[in-house]
Amino acid sequence: MSATALIALAVMLAWPVPRLLARMTAFRRAPRPALVVWQATTVAAVLAALFAAPAAVALAPGPGTGVTRTLALAAAVLVTGVVTARLLLSGHRVGRRLRAVRRTHRDLVDLLGLPPRAGQADVATGSLARPGGTVRPGGVHSGHLRVLDHSTPTAYCVPGLRQRVVVTRGALDLLPADEVRAVIAHERAHLAARHDLVAEFFTVVHEAVPGFVRSAEALGEVNLLIEVLADRSAVHATSAVTTGRAIVRMAGGPKPSGTMAVREGPSAARVRLDLLDAHRVAKVPTGIVAIGMYAFAAGLLAVPVGLLTLALA
Amino acid sequence: MPTPRNRLGDLERAVMELLWTTGPRRTEGVTVREVHDQIGVERGLAYTTLMTVLDRMSKKGLVERERDGRAWRYTAAYSREQLTSETLHHTLGELAGGERRRALLHFLDESSPQEIDELRAALAELESREGVRSGQPDDESRDGTRRPA
Repeated sequence: MSATALIALAVMLAWPVPRLLARMTAFRRAPRPALVVWQATTVAAVLAALFAAPAAVALAPGPGTGVTRTLALAAAVLVTGVVTARLLLSGHRVGRRLRAVRRTHRDLVDLLGLPPRAGQADVATGSLARPGGTVRPGGVHSGHLRVLDHSTPTAYCVPGLRQRVVVTRGALDLLPADEVRAVIAHERAHLAARHDLVAEFFTVVHEAVPGFVRSAEALGEVNLLIEVLADRSAVHATSAVTTGRAIVRMAGGPKPSGTMAVREGPSAARVRLDLLDAHRVAKVPTGIVAIGMYAFAAGLLAVPVGLLTLALA
Repeated sequence: MPTPRNRLGDLERAVMELLWTTGPRRTEGVTVREVHDQIGVERGLAYTTLMTVLDRMSKKGLVERERDGRAWRYTAAYSREQLTSETLHHTLGELAGGERRRALLHFLDESSPQEIDELRAALAELESREGVRSGQPDDESRDGTRRPA
């Protein structure tokens, strides 16, 4: 019974629920609890699948039981086994690929990065990168900023243990000092909160499930929430208007050829702009909404755990 | 404390700087001996260390080499500008592919030019909502700042 319920729960959380959640865009206004709800949904789905076999085994009485019981047991063991194998494989593949790309890229930016020009360094980092490009390793605050001498304005971070924030000369030329600060604060927030791990977790699960279960919408929503969350830090470091100006200016900057995308619906930039000064979800202060969302997330996690406990009791 | 890995990175960087600066004058390339004289001696590094580093860099495709008698002559495989463009193109847009994009977190995803007007309108709305703050003097002092219409 519990095993069947666990499998049903896994299916619900893997297929209809993410599609529904992706449509509840009002909750983007509370990005942190929204991300927690997404994580809880995904973890609960994984747990439900993993718990199916132990629950079925616990419920199956001694030898010599009916055929249906044996079949149910086999099904539960199969679900758990397949989910475990696919998650491990996907985790291994995704992790290895991401780290390889990051390592190569970090080596390149370390090779090419210029020390920030005098003045810019103070603005962007609050600390000075020493000339000659030698930097102290490992420091989150010291010298992990790299300026690439290129006219295309762009900024990004390379996550990992040896993390980097990269901005191009084009971006520094395009943006006034306070907007540079907003951009750097945004990237720093990604690194400090290890948003890469959040994104990696969802990517692993996304790739572990069969194609028809995957929801690009859901993955896109999670990635958007991560950006909205980093924008919050930028707003905190500067202001909503400054961060908004930085987004618009970067979006309007020159682009290298071959990077245009045809898109349906509003872009992430547009959505992020509208959320910079959002403090309420449907007229309710986000603090109150957040409590409800955290409770919901905890409830989601409690269901598979409860079902397993029931089976083992 | 510099880690071995970091020291290696610094060394590769110094080698590239040397090849980039001498490159235009020395199209035939430089030998390990010359690299060692230029950057190895002051760092107290053995000749063989530089040899290993250059060998590694040639395997990574950063430098190219040609036989000259018993020695190798090394040149930078790309100019600094080429390598910078290459590096950025690997992270931007379709060329990058989903994997490379996902490995790095960008401030902004690609945005289509027809959308810029829409973004500006949204910004103007934000500025008017935040009215009080956007009228601060430090905004006036910046040139090129878009004012709300």
